[in-house]
Amino acid sequence: MGSIFADFQQAQRVGDGRLLASCLAPIDTARDPHRLQSFAQLSNYQTITADVRYHLIQAPNAVGLPKAEANAWVDIFVALWKTVKELVGLRQGNGTGDWVRAFDAYKELCNFLVRGYTNFGFQSWTVPCLYVAGKYIRMIAMKADSEGRAKDANGGTAFANGFSDDIISDVNKHEKLEQAAWTINRMFTVCLSDRSELAESRKWGIYSTTNLLFKTYFKLNSISLTRNVIRALEAASADLPPLELFPKSHRCTFKYYRGVIDFLQENYTDAEMHLTEALSLCHKDSLKNQEQILTYLIPAHVVNHHQLPNRALLAPHPSLSRIFTPLFDAVRTGSLAAFDEALTSAEPELVKRRVYLTLERTRDICTRNLFRKVFLAAGWEETKDPATGEVAGRIRRTRIRIEEFEAGMRVGYKGAKDVMIERDEVECFLANMIYKNMMKGYIARDRGIVVLSKAGAFPGTGV
Amino acid sequence: MYSSSSAAGHPPWQAQSSYAPNQNAYIQVPARQTFGAQPPVAQPNYYVPPQYMHHPSTDTPIAQPAPPAKKKMNWSPDVRDYVNRSFAQTTSIPGVTKEQIEAKLKEIITDATQTGRLDTMNWKELPLPQEMIQEERKRGLLAPVPHPSYVPSLPTTTSSPVTYQSHPDAPRKRKSAELAKEPGYTIVTPPWRTNAGPLADRVSFVPTEKRPKLDMSSSVSKSKASLESRRRRFEDARAGSNSPRTQESSRGASPEANMIGPIVGRCQKLEKNYFRLTSAPNPDDVRPLEVLRKTLELLKKKWRSDGNYVYICDQFKSLRQDLTVQHIKNDFTTSVYEYHARIALEKGDLGEYNQCQTQLRELYKQNLGGHPVEFKAYRILYFIHTCNQTDMNDVLSDLTLADKKEPAIRHALEVRSALALGNYHKFFKLYLTVPDMGAYLMDMFVERERLAALACLCRAYKPDVRLRFVTEELGFESDEEACQFIIDHVPEESPPLLEERDGDVRFLTGKVGSIFQVAKARAFGQVDIKGQI
Repeated sequence: MGSIFADFQQAQRVGDGRLLASCLAPIDTARDPHRLQSFAQLSNYQTITADVRYHLIQAPNAVGLPKAEANAWVDIFVALWKTVKELVGLRQGNGTGDWVRAFDAYKELCNFLVRGYTNFGFQSWTVPCLYVAGKYIRMIAMKADSEGRAKDANGGTAFANGFSDDIISDVNKHEKLEQAAWTINRMFTVCLSDRSELAESRKWGIYSTTNLLFKTYFKLNSISLTRNVIRALEAASADLPPLELFPKSHRCTFKYYRGVIDFLQENYTDAEMHLTEALSLCHKDSLKNQEQILTYLIPAHVVNHHQLPNRALLAPHPSLSRIFTPLFDAVRTGSLAAFDEALTSAEPELVKRRVYLTLERTRDICTRNLFRKVFLAAGWEETKDPATGEVAGRIRRTRIRIEEFEAGMRVGYKGAKDVMIERDEVECFLANMIYKNMMKGYIARDRGIVVLSKAGAFPGTGV
Repeated sequence: MYSSSSAAGHPPWQAQSSYAPNQNAYIQVPARQTFGAQPPVAQPNYYVPPQYMHHPSTDTPIAQPAPPAKKKMNWSPDVRDYVNRSFAQTTSIPGVTKEQIEAKLKEIITDATQTGRLDTMNWKELPLPQEMIQEERKRGLLAPVPHPSYVPSLPTTTSSPVTYQSHPDAPRKRKSAELAKEPGYTIVTPPWRTNAGPLADRVSFVPTEKRPKLDMSSSVSKSKASLESRRRRFEDARAGSNSPRTQESSRGASPEANMIGPIVGRCQKLEKNYFRLTSAPNPDDVRPLEVLRKTLELLKKKWRSDGNYVYICDQFKSLRQDLTVQHIKNDFTTSVYEYHARIALEKGDLGEYNQCQTQLRELYKQNLGGHPVEFKAYRILYFIHTCNQTDMNDVLSDLTLADKKEPAIRHALEVRSALALGNYHKFFKLYLTVPDMGAYLMDMFVERERLAALACLCRAYKPDVRLRFVTEELGFESDEEACQFIIDHVPEESPPLLEERDGDVRFLTGKVGSIFQVAKARAFGQVDIKGQI
């Protein structure tokens, strides 16, 4: 008999949600490296229900569960067995396994599980089961989809089913994953809608299922759907336990996704807030996760505060450093040519991570730094005491001819190909700087000069 | 009109018609006695529009009161019994409507008359029309689904008996083709039409009292009533084709509802109104590829001559629907979507345009011809308009290096980057050099970008600039246009912002304050892409 049932009885006896949940994971464990194999060999399609029933209910060591609840678990483990049967077949590679069938079986498991909570009185300590089931249905769904696509490539292309008017619907590409998203959404609802007391509530599973849901929506590239989830969470926020009381892993992932969602909606202030929190919650050894967070946190911070990351921050993350460093070096020196070059060469990578359009904006800082250099190069003027007419001191020259900025831009574009600099375009950039408060002053067009503020012409830069 | 012109020559089966003076004598007989007029008790609570049923007679010029070559129809008792049995309550089959039975019956009798077997046929053994219909449907469902690109050749009037036998619907198809295309087609008209024109007319007669009955019926719920009116619209649309339905639409058709495979259309009409499908499509209403090709040409011509967008859009939607239900996916599909997208662009119907664009994106991925470069460029411009950074990111990730070298795409990308960097100088230069129909898209957002640029200009330039400068920088065609634009966006109570000095019009940027900033915020807040014409 499989260790799965032993774990199940043990978990039920002591009320260990994690142990119980681990029973539903269709994987081998360190403790039992042949778990799947032995579970698959337990029975066959004819007798599986009876066998599972025996192990769960009638075995000598069985915990006496209420009848309805026990029956629900029987259904769950029968579905698990069907899944495992497929997975073992796949592993053997003799054509007896199929990802789509595995997915269907595991989806059945998830549905039984959800029904267990809604109808058959599964207790709240078992909530980790939802997370594990959600996690694996997502993984199996992605496998099933990629298998399906591979098959599709040989045969005909997918067509829109149902009564849609147009040739192609999006449904086909991620058919199983969308179904998985539905299933996970039901799990989310099961957690959110529980009205029992907090100590006994499924609400403690809310963030883990939310995270799974976010993850799935991101994978489906339907990020707009996350908004519904957030709205539902916000609507229920009064009844939810405070976020601080949830496990760090839930909080960190949740904050990460919140931040990325805000980031993608160009709400960089909130994005930075959530991402900073995620970074501080992130385990210090999980570099991969930190890197994920920093991918969005750094651009958000640069856009918000015009502050560039130092090398120490990027040092542990060579792949981030490789794409960010050339870009930010160019910003530092005000080299427009180098900036454009760095942005273009990293474009595919940046687009993939969805940060290209945000980083493009940091070109303003690059331009600002260039104009600032022009200002610094313009030198000093002596000030005279209005009363005596004597030289009282010196300040930087604040009236600067547009030609000087034009020359500055030529320097900034040094080495770039196909760039024509026109005076009107230089003015346009100057106007933008002033409009965006990165430069203080005004353009007097008739006189062909820029009049800069005597007190802090480039706010935040010390001059 | 029939009874008055030849009252003495009533065919026997007509005796119980509602027109007949002695109808009361037979009122208790439960079985139907005629094709057309029904006893009031058996009325279904829906209405078949008269034009649907009467159409054949209006199309065929022989529907005169007293055709000269009129033969009297004297049916044998066997035939009459057969007709009676067809309409008897006990033999009815759910899902087969009276109209379908009538049509089938008409077909059987016509066939028998034509072949001269009317009196020799074994009417007692012959399956009832509803049984035949059911059989046909079964065969239709079981028939192997042909390859999507296969289009059956048009049955001509000389269609061989082979076609007839192998394809039970062939005769109807032929009829609909004739009716749709050759209204004055009299030479080979089947005898039942020449002989019994008024009969055919009456056979499908529907008493007008029915309509009020439907309306007054309190059992018909509101939604049911609207469904009903929807169905009626369908019938109207189908009026031209006299072919009876082989598949029940909307309700009661469970076998077809889960039919997924492609269908092969049989409709020969070029034009068709668009209705959203609520059940499996009827092949009689679907036009095959070769008809659709002609349809596209017709629509192109009509669009050039009439420019009626509502009509064209409707027609294109039905065209797209016919392509979809038949799983036709080739370069023709691409050209349909491209043409519709262009028309929608021209009329600024972005909702429709976006639908086409989404489909085109997938079609291009499968290399189905068309103009991928042109439409990829539009797609970029479109997402500039919608200000959707997530979508724009997706567009960028779709582009290949080769794409980026294409002039149209490069142009669109430069537009995007110019706006991202606030480079209005470059943006308006690009606005003046946009290729193809991109101008229609750029027109969508040029106003708000002008406001943005003005907001920037007014903050940066002090105390004023020449109006000419605004004209040139913001791509206006003339100073007057620039002047009008400024005036249009300035509230009445603000101080004058334009001033004439030294023969120059000056724009007093220093006095503008936040006027354009506010206008800009408002303009960007109202990116409405859902609005369809």
